[in-house]
Order: sequence, then C-alpha cells, then structure tokens
Amino acid sequence: MSEAGARTSRRGTTPGQAVRVMRAGPAAVVDVVRALAGVPGARLADLFGAIEDGGLLLRIVYALDRDGEYVVVEWPLKGREYPPLSDIDPAAFVEECEIYEQFGVRPSGPRLLNRLVVPPHAAHDFPRLGTPPPREGREPHAPHYVSGEAFEFPFGPVRGVALESLYMGLVTSGEEVIDIFLLQWHKHRAIERRLQGLPLEKALFIVERAEGLSAVANAWAFCQAAETIAGTTVPEAAQAARAVALELERLYNHAAALAALCQATGLSVGQAQAEAALEQFLRLNLACFGHRYLFGVITLGGVSRGPDLQALLHLLPPAHDELHRVTAALWSTNSFMDRLEACGVLSLEQVERLALVGPVARASGRGSDTRTDHPYGPYGVIRAADVNVAVEERGDVLARMKVMAAEAEESRRLLMRLAEAGAGEAVTEVRGQAGAALGWCESPRGESLAWLSLDDAGRIERARLRPGSFRNWRAFDDAARSRNVFTDIPIIEASFWLTVAGFAR
Amino acid sequence: MSDASLAVGSGPATDDVGSVAERLGAARALFGRSLHIRTVDTGSCAVCESEIRLLLAPHYDLQRLGFFFTPSPRHADLLLVTGPAVRAMDVALAKTYTAMPQPKVVVAVGACPLGGIYAEDEVVHGRLENVLPVDVSIPGCPPSPLALLQGLLVAVGRLTEKVGRLGFAADLT
Ligand code: SF4
Repeated sequence: MSEAGARTSRRGTTPGQAVRVMRAGPAAVVDVVRALAGVPGARLADLFGAIEDGGLLLRIVYALDRDGEYVVVEWPLKGREYPPLSDIDPAAFVEECEIYEQFGVRPSGPRLLNRLVVPPHAAHDFPRLGTPPPREGREPHAPHYVSGEAFEFPFGPVRGVALESLYMGLVTSGEEVIDIFLLQWHKHRAIERRLQGLPLEKALFIVERAEGLSAVANAWAFCQAAETIAGTTVPEAAQAARAVALELERLYNHAAALAALCQATGLSVGQAQAEAALEQFLRLNLACFGHRYLFGVITLGGVSRGPDLQALLHLLPPAHDELHRVTAALWSTNSFMDRLEACGVLSLEQVERLALVGPVARASGRGSDTRTDHPYGPYGVIRAADVNVAVEERGDVLARMKVMAAEAEESRRLLMRLAEAGAGEAVTEVRGQAGAALGWCESPRGESLAWLSLDDAGRIERARLRPGSFRNWRAFDDAARSRNVFTDIPIIEASFWLTVAGFAR
Repeated sequence: MSDASLAVGSGPATDDVGSVAERLGAARALFGRSLHIRTVDTGSCAVCESEIRLLLAPHYDLQRLGFFFTPSPRHADLLLVTGPAVRAMDVALAKTYTAMPQPKVVVAVGACPLGGIYAEDEVVHGRLENVLPVDVSIPGCPPSPLALLQGLLVAVGRLTEKVGRLGFAADLT
C-alpha cells in the first residue's frame, strides 16, 4: 500500500485565515477562472448563487490544495445569462444546473441543463432560492433505445432494505451497464432555503440533519464559518474534542461502508462481522458523547460536552480490532477480492476533471485531504492531530476500500493521541454579527464546505451547504460505466459511501 | 396490547435485547406466521436507515425472531417509513402502500415522520399521518435498534388485532 507519508503541515495557522475573497467584474471573471483552474493542484470546490443587493451574486470557490488556500471569486451578474464556466472547468456543470434551477439564470449557449432537486410535480411557487427558470431542466433519461439494442431498466426510488430513496435508470442490453441515470429529487427538503432567516443555533439543528451520517463534519464546517465571522477563537480543548467526534464519525462510516460492501458481494459472514464492528463503534459514540451518531456534539464556539476519555480508551481498541480482523479476513478471501478489482474504475484524470474529494479521490491517486491541506481546528496546528494521508493509485473499488481501511487505522491512532492531549468540554460565545465566511471540514466522504452570510441581527441571509456527497455523486455514472455489469452497481455504490440526503439536501 | 399509538421513547439505554426478544417471540406465536417488512424513505437524513439496517446485525438479529425484510411490497405486512413525508415521494409511497395486502400496519420511524424536524409546507407533509394511516410511531432522532424492536412489538399487536377483525376473504378490500 502506498502512503503519502507524513506530510508536514503548516503550523500555527488560525482557522479561517487561509481564505482569499476577491471580486471580479464581467470582463475579468473568465480570465480569473481560467488562471485559477490552471494553478497546479487547484480544484473547483464549489459554485453557488445568492441574492445580494437585489441581484444575483455568483461565488466561485477554488481550493488551492498545494498552497493551503481557498479563493472565493465573487461575481455580480447582470441579466439572465453568463459565459459558461463549465467550458473552462467541466467540474462546474452540476452547479450550473443547480443555479439555473434555483435562480433561473443560465450559462449562455445551447447546452441543455438537467433537473437536479426540484421535483417534476413542483408548482411554480415551489420554494427556491430565487426566481424559477422559464423552463425546468431536462429530465436525464435514456432515449428509448441506444443503438437499437439497449433499454433503460428502472430501479427505484424505493429500493432494497432500508436504502435511501434514489432512482437509478440502468441502461443495458441485458447485463452490461452501458449508462446510468440518477434522479435524486425524491429527497429534496429545500434545506438551504429553510435556513434563510434563522438564527445560528436553530440553523445548526437542521444542518446536522441535512446528512446525518456526516453530522459532525457538516456542523463543524458550518460553525467554523460562523466563528470566523464573529472572530471567535475556539478553545484548544474544544478543538481537540471536535476532532475526537470527527474521527469517531469517520470510523463508524468506514465500518458501515465495509458492511455494505460485504452485503453487495453477498458475503453474509463478512457483513455480520462488519456490522458487529459498526455496532461497537456506535456504542462507543454513545459512551463518549451521549449520541450514537454524534448529533449535538458540535456547538457554536466549541462542543456541548467533552468526550468521556475513559470510555474512549477502553472501547476504541476492541472495536477497531474487530474491524481490523474483518478487513484482514476479507483481504485474504480471493472470491471477494476478485469482485472488487477493476470494478468501478475512476482514473486520476476523471477525478481531477470532476474535482472529486475524499476517499474516492485519494483512491485514484489524488492525495488531497483538508486536514493536511487546509489546516483547521487542531489539524495542522497541534502535533497530536497530524494526519498521514492514505493514497492508492488504481481507482477501483478495491483501492477505495484500502484507503478507507488505512484511514480507519489512522483515525484510531489520532484518537489515542487526542485523548492523551486532553480533549475536553469548552465553549466560547459566538456573537452573531453581519459578515460572510467560508468553513470546511474533512467528512468521511471528503471535504465538506459551508458558506455563511449573516445580517446585522446575526440571522442567516445565505447558508450554502456543500457536503462531500454533493461533489462525488457526479462521478458515479463514470465509475458505473467502466465496463461493469448489473451486480457491480451496489458494489460501486458501497465503495463511494455517499448519501442521497447530502446531495439532494 | 396497549392502545397508545406512540410506542416508545428513544429506548432504554440498556443493551438487553433478550426481554424484548422474548416478548416479540410470544407475540409472533400469537400471530402465527413470519412477518415481512418493507421500508420506504421519504426524505430521511440517512441515519434512521442505518439503525434499521442494524436490526439485522448480530447484536439484534431480527430474523431469528421471525421478521424478514422483503424486497416486494406484495409480500409485506408492515411498512416502515422514515423521513418527513416529502411530497416528491407521494406517488412511490402510495404505490407501495396500496400494493401491500390486507391486513397491514404502518410504522413511522423517528422524529421526522412525527413532524419533529420539518413543519408542513410546500416541500414536505411534515407528518406521515397526513398521507397514510399510521398505526405505530417510534420517536427518537434516530430511534435506537432496541427502540425499533419495541416498536415492532407494538406493531405486531396491532396486526394481530386487525387479523382478529377480519372475517372471510371476501371482506378484504
Ligand atoms: S428522525 Fe432524525 S435521525 Fe431519523 S431521519 Fe429524521 S433527522 Fe435523521
């Protein structure tokens, strides 16, 4: 297994400092984006709109991973069209569709835009962030036949046992998956719209529930943005406690992904063992923080309570040992390994073109991780929280599982060290005041971003949530098309370990 | 069996599955056959799903109690619904419910379908009972697997009552 090894991270950086915000006029913006896209190690992290001063303001967020910096380009739009950014950076396409759906403003040119989260039955008054488009986006479906042979096999939205609602249109001629279309609007709860006008504490409750399996990461990114606006410094003990919660979240998610993978490959023994490990991790969460899924741990300015370190030191090793045993047993099960190899392949080129994040990106050779690239909280600040980033090259399901297994190992190591460093209960007050800021956090599924604009009363004008799931689903069809058959699809889905909730929000 | 449709709180903090299992076993003997469960997600945060899946894990092992998850609504006696009843799921939810044979029970899982997270608006119904007759509710965000087991126990009671009320096959609608 190749590992990027101990990259020295920048120390002493105050969170929220490594963000540069700039404004660009219509004449300059295309050049600015082209320049940013050309920076080595740069990736388009987000693109979103907000109504400001009566007009639409687009924000383009680039992550310069090698320089430890986020660049936010603010671009006030006039009119209903803008030069297509996806021509310069293809990673922008999904967001262009989203902006069209929410604000009715589109990139110029003939390109068809897709429906994302507003359901087809939606009336004209369906809650959106701006004015609806003149015509709704195209429903992505296969034409009835593809070269006379294939057809679209409908699967969903109600799927197997306790799976999230998701429609998959599998285009096939019998066995091989030629193409795949996903519809995710079934789970849209208009969360960004709901957050508008709320005070921060109330909003945080909803933010955690946008994607419960990344509750800690999304809440942390959100709180970090609020803390940057208020100029709050979160006490070190609370930063460490947050990291304890975040690594626990990573551990249980990776165990859950492994269980799902065993289920997808029909390996019930492995599944039962992985689920036993998962249950142990959830009980560990309960013992440490009082909630199996760590809801309510992250609060504005700190943590609601410190972890029970005794419970952590006592319960973590057996839980992780259990996971390690299953993983080791699976690695020596040839029939299992054969299913994962060369399945759902994503090349490094595809990962960079779509600006993917998290284990999916790291499994294809892109070793970015916000915990090392963009120091926040204790990461890159205190030695106990220095992360070794696991990287694999082959980009298949096996590589993704190896990355997750290595990350679980690393999380255990971090947790033991954080416990020694003294993670505890601490909070400072966060006063809501006018301002705007970006927050970020490395969720189990990759970088999670939050942008906040607050008014004078500290209420939310615009809260943008971009969980890792929102970025990574766009690569699912690429992975599914890479010469796979029907039964590979659940395997690939488990290895991505995304949520529909996080995409549809 | 209790009449309260609100079955349990977020469940006792104990890990003891045994007592619940025993009572479930007794209720099932009364019901006289295995029970099949269908799940539908109407806009959950994905955590309630995680807890439901864990019912099959070795710690809880739902199947040993005669409960099975089924991939087809036509085989299902019990519908487990998560999420705030997003309107976009109306058609899928109604189709699933109608496809289930009588007698059937609907179990609302978590705070979401009780209106505890999202209020009714243009996007969600807020409460599941606005669209389906809910027999049992299991509060909690999320309800633990043990709370789910207890909720299932109450649901089995409901189902037994409904069977008792059925006359000849011709009465089935
Ligand atoms: S009840 Fe809570 S845990 Fe369950 S889906 Fe709703 S928000 Fe998530």
